[in-house]
Amino acid sequence: MAEFLLLDPSMLMNVLLIAISGTLICIGVHFVPVGGAPAAMAQATGIGTGTVELAAGSGLVGLVTASYMYANVPDASMALVLAAGAMGSMILIASAMLLGGLVYAYGVGVPFASAQVKRDPITGDTQEDYMSKGTQGHGIPTVSYVSGLIGAALGGTGGSLIYFVLIGLYSGVSSAVISSNAAAIAGMFAMGVYYVNAVIPSYGVGGTIEGFHDRKFKRVLPKDTLTSFIISLIAGILAILIAGGM
Amino acid sequence: MVLDLTMSLAVLSLMGVLATIAGALEDLESDVGSQSNPNSQVQLAPQMSFLHRIYNKAISGEPVSNGFSAVVSGIVTVVLLDSNVYAITSIAIGALVGALILGIFATTSFAGRVSSMTRFKQPLYMDIMRYTTPTIIAHNFIMNFCLVALAYIQYAILGHPFSIPFLALIWGIAAGAVGSSVGDVHYGAERQFQNSEFGAGLNTSLSGQIVRKAESGLRNSIDNVWFCAKFGGPATGIGLGLTVVLSNWPTTVIGYNWTAVLVGFGIVVLMAIIHRIVEVNIRNAYGPYKDHNGKEEAAA
Repeated sequence: MAEFLLLDPSMLMNVLLIAISGTLICIGVHFVPVGGAPAAMAQATGIGTGTVELAAGSGLVGLVTASYMYANVPDASMALVLAAGAMGSMILIASAMLLGGLVYAYGVGVPFASAQVKRDPITGDTQEDYMSKGTQGHGIPTVSYVSGLIGAALGGTGGSLIYFVLIGLYSGVSSAVISSNAAAIAGMFAMGVYYVNAVIPSYGVGGTIEGFHDRKFKRVLPKDTLTSFIISLIAGILAILIAGGM
Repeated sequence: MVLDLTMSLAVLSLMGVLATIAGALEDLESDVGSQSNPNSQVQLAPQMSFLHRIYNKAISGEPVSNGFSAVVSGIVTVVLLDSNVYAITSIAIGALVGALILGIFATTSFAGRVSSMTRFKQPLYMDIMRYTTPTIIAHNFIMNFCLVALAYIQYAILGHPFSIPFLALIWGIAAGAVGSSVGDVHYGAERQFQNSEFGAGLNTSLSGQIVRKAESGLRNSIDNVWFCAKFGGPATGIGLGLTVVLSNWPTTVIGYNWTAVLVGFGIVVLMAIIHRIVEVNIRNAYGPYKDHNGKEEAAA
């Protein structure tokens, strides 16, 4: 006997919210300036790691802060939990980019330069003269830093929204196994959706992207967003099914 | 458990210290085993006829492999805690089990990767395997210990809704993400190409041509971790420590409300400003790249 119906309007709203969360994560990952292996060798602009690794790392810290906010505030509003998630996520990326920048600056000795724009759209600094020969830029210029923060905020918000929807759903079911472990299941599911939506953009951007000023951003974002929405919709339906809904 | 403000800040400081040590050791473990993005050069070197004595594990992406060893440690710890073993003993045994399993993966990964390079005549040095694998396990043990202790504090003292293994998994992934973003650059962009002039940038055409001579004799992974422990490792530690402290400090001091969240956003803006100051300072200190005649040089 199904505990609740999938076609019930409130359940459909939950599925839709999970789909929106996944899409937010996917859009957020496009903003994060990841340079992959070339950036780790200071041969490309951005953070020297992969899209999935950094986006998931920051999103999960957002999940920790959001879940703690939810647990400590009685009847916490959705906006507060989402903001707490965005904050946690942004703090990880801000720390990683700040310390990563210090390593580029003083450990490797290269100034920050973007290969995609002649001038930094935010500061107006020239980029080309500060780029060493045979590279596609290096370090994290201000525009990439700001883009990374926007990406982390979107990703953290998306991850927290999934958690908020699922914890409300799972803690109310009659199955003791699910309801007593609602936080763990909701957290684990949010993590799964996070990984799925962090992988989709890595195919689109081909491993490296400098941020919202990168030409790839506009080119791949619409397709990736649609893909992510569809996949997250399926994930949302699965989230209802595992709690005993039909 | 309800703690007063002084005690809460003491606990938060302890968490920050644990995260700092975990972050530093995570990065150094990835350097001594040569994992994550810089490992692409270690993998490429034999194809460029640069045979080397560097350990080459790269089990998976750094966050995933660290999350894996941390979650194994967390699970063993919880099992022991349920058997009424002391917390500190449980965490130590759990961390050891997680580190040993990572050691098994490191060994098979190293042997497998080097075997796949037979056609490029890259030898599998057994002495490297014998004394580098325990070093990897030792580094990973300390990371696991710190992360599981951090998860234990969050769960048992601060009452976090997530379980110890899940929190250990999340912090393991976060440590890997920070290590891969911060410390790996020091290993990949500086240590592996130390023969080029400092700050000259690394031309893509030099890919795979890693330095193979050490300060004395032939370079191995222990030499690399010695170098990275001077900057890349501690920088990673500070990065993770800052993440743990700053993501919890506003709610610990101000409470669980909008003000705390806004203070958190303020901290992020402050870090962006510091980053900008660093950017301006190094642009002024280094200046634009110039060619041999002293003229400003546009990059290729």
